[in-house]
Amino acid sequence: MSVAINRRTRHKLGASAGKHAVLILVSVVLGFPLLWMALTSLKTNHQALAVPPVWIPHPFVWSNYPDFISAVTFPRFVLNTLMYAATTIVGVCISSSLVAYGFSRIRWRGRDFLFKVMVSTLLIPFFATLIPLFVMYKRFDMVGWYLPLIVPTFLGSSIFSTFLLRQFFMTLPQSVSDAARVDGANEFTIFTRVILPMSKPALATVILFQFVYCWNDYLGPLIYIDNQVWYPVSLGLTLILGTYTTNWPWVMAAACAATLPIVVLFFFAQRTFIAGIAIQGTGDKG
Amino acid sequence: MSIPVTTKAAPQTAKMRKGPNRPRIQRRTRNGLLFVSPWLIGFLAFFAYPFFATIYYSFTNFNGVQSPKWVGFANYTALFHDPLFGTSLFNTLFYTVFELPLSTAAALGLALLLNQNVRGRGIYRTIFYIPSIVPLVASCLIFVWIFNPATGIVNDLLNDVHIQGPGWFFSIAWSKPSLILLGLWGVGQPMVIYLAGLQSIPAQLYEVAALDGAGAWHRFRHITIPMLSPVILFNVILQLVACFSYFTQAQVIEGGDIGGPGTSTWFYVQYLYEQAFQFLKLGYSSAMAFFLFVISAIVMVLLFRSSSRWVYYASEG
Repeated sequence: MSVAINRRTRHKLGASAGKHAVLILVSVVLGFPLLWMALTSLKTNHQALAVPPVWIPHPFVWSNYPDFISAVTFPRFVLNTLMYAATTIVGVCISSSLVAYGFSRIRWRGRDFLFKVMVSTLLIPFFATLIPLFVMYKRFDMVGWYLPLIVPTFLGSSIFSTFLLRQFFMTLPQSVSDAARVDGANEFTIFTRVILPMSKPALATVILFQFVYCWNDYLGPLIYIDNQVWYPVSLGLTLILGTYTTNWPWVMAAACAATLPIVVLFFFAQRTFIAGIAIQGTGDKG
Repeated sequence: MSIPVTTKAAPQTAKMRKGPNRPRIQRRTRNGLLFVSPWLIGFLAFFAYPFFATIYYSFTNFNGVQSPKWVGFANYTALFHDPLFGTSLFNTLFYTVFELPLSTAAALGLALLLNQNVRGRGIYRTIFYIPSIVPLVASCLIFVWIFNPATGIVNDLLNDVHIQGPGWFFSIAWSKPSLILLGLWGVGQPMVIYLAGLQSIPAQLYEVAALDGAGAWHRFRHITIPMLSPVILFNVILQLVACFSYFTQAQVIEGGDIGGPGTSTWFYVQYLYEQAFQFLKLGYSSAMAFFLFVISAIVMVLLFRSSSRWVYYASEG
């Protein structure tokens, strides 16, 4: 009897060790590029190019960071990106929550049809509408700065945010609206005084994803921003790659500096991140 | 975390009530439209108008300054005689055909690994997920560096096991596979969606199947895959949209040598972008844009048609 139990636990231990071995191997492969980026960013250029490769920087060249930062006005890129993120976050929070309310808390004819139209625009390639948009913005003299990227967010262009907020609003009980209605509140009052205060977690998710989107956005600024003074971090990185191609520690320090805020943010808001993504896939099935 | 969805309106009660209710229904419709009006205006201005304008421009000669001049189908005939158009279309389809199944398998495989009952699952999940939140441009810089044929660590390590590493991004044969590898590194997003899907499959299904003597493969094939199929469809759609608009990674990595080496990494929308914004051939690039829309619409329709055969919705059965 005891032998059998022993064998079983040993078998279990073996299986669990095997699982961990696979998981650790995959972790090493997936984590390696980031590790190598961090290590390279702290080497001298000579060490970075050494054959056979030097694994641990010796000495740690922390000065790579201040050096590349002052070489390409990196703080300016960060400021531009923060401005881009902050303004679009305001736009998305206002317009997407209004639209989401209309698509969830009020029942009206044509609502579900329009909602389907909205979601299906996600399937249309971005480039299918780009050229007339560019011509239009050019005519309004809006090209060269962030306005073409900011204005649409005030008009519900972030369909992901609207979708996410709608899903959340639908989980709130109808009774809270009914109670306010009995007290004589109109729809807008119910929206601002009842529904929005209950939706802080969903709004936090929307803000987080909009920030990450802006921080990563390359195509939008590439099309509309032509002056380097207004470059966001993403375009700043390509500038560094183009200018200092031979100085890999600088390039990796820049990549690291662009990655770190997002990774830190992820560690502080891991649950929000994971939940936000999971909603997309499992939220609406028809 | 998943949020239940109710789109069905409550069944209309007796017709008699329609009369006195009419003002209420009208008020509701007015309110609803008011609330969604920001999107409705945005949809008309930033989607509907430019969509139809693209079609119009595609039949004109237009440089953005002078007014468009009607040329009929000239842009389309020129397209089909343009070798780079064919190359960029081929490269994009090549990328899609390999990236789509490989990334689906990778994301699903990683999700299955994470769905096991092991200690430290949260840590593994974090490590698997983090590459997908690294800013895209930063990922490109990292890959260009580690896959550098002469000084990169990957070829160094291959050298240690006596394999002559290829030229990766600098080789005509390997440039597209290298981009596919970069794509596979960032499958964290679909992975998380699959993981959420896996966790919502009721455990009893597996228990009953195990009692019936179904092995691990059978359980995967006949429970996991059908139960996940709506999520698979969702991820495949997102992936397809992304593949058709594949741009950023190629543009960043190629740097000064767009499309290179040779023409091995000219992607469709890169070529469209160049025609539009470098050469101001807005009519020609609009024809490319509309053609892209037609292709992706056809693929989407085929995908949705086929989905009734392989996507299983638990609520229907």
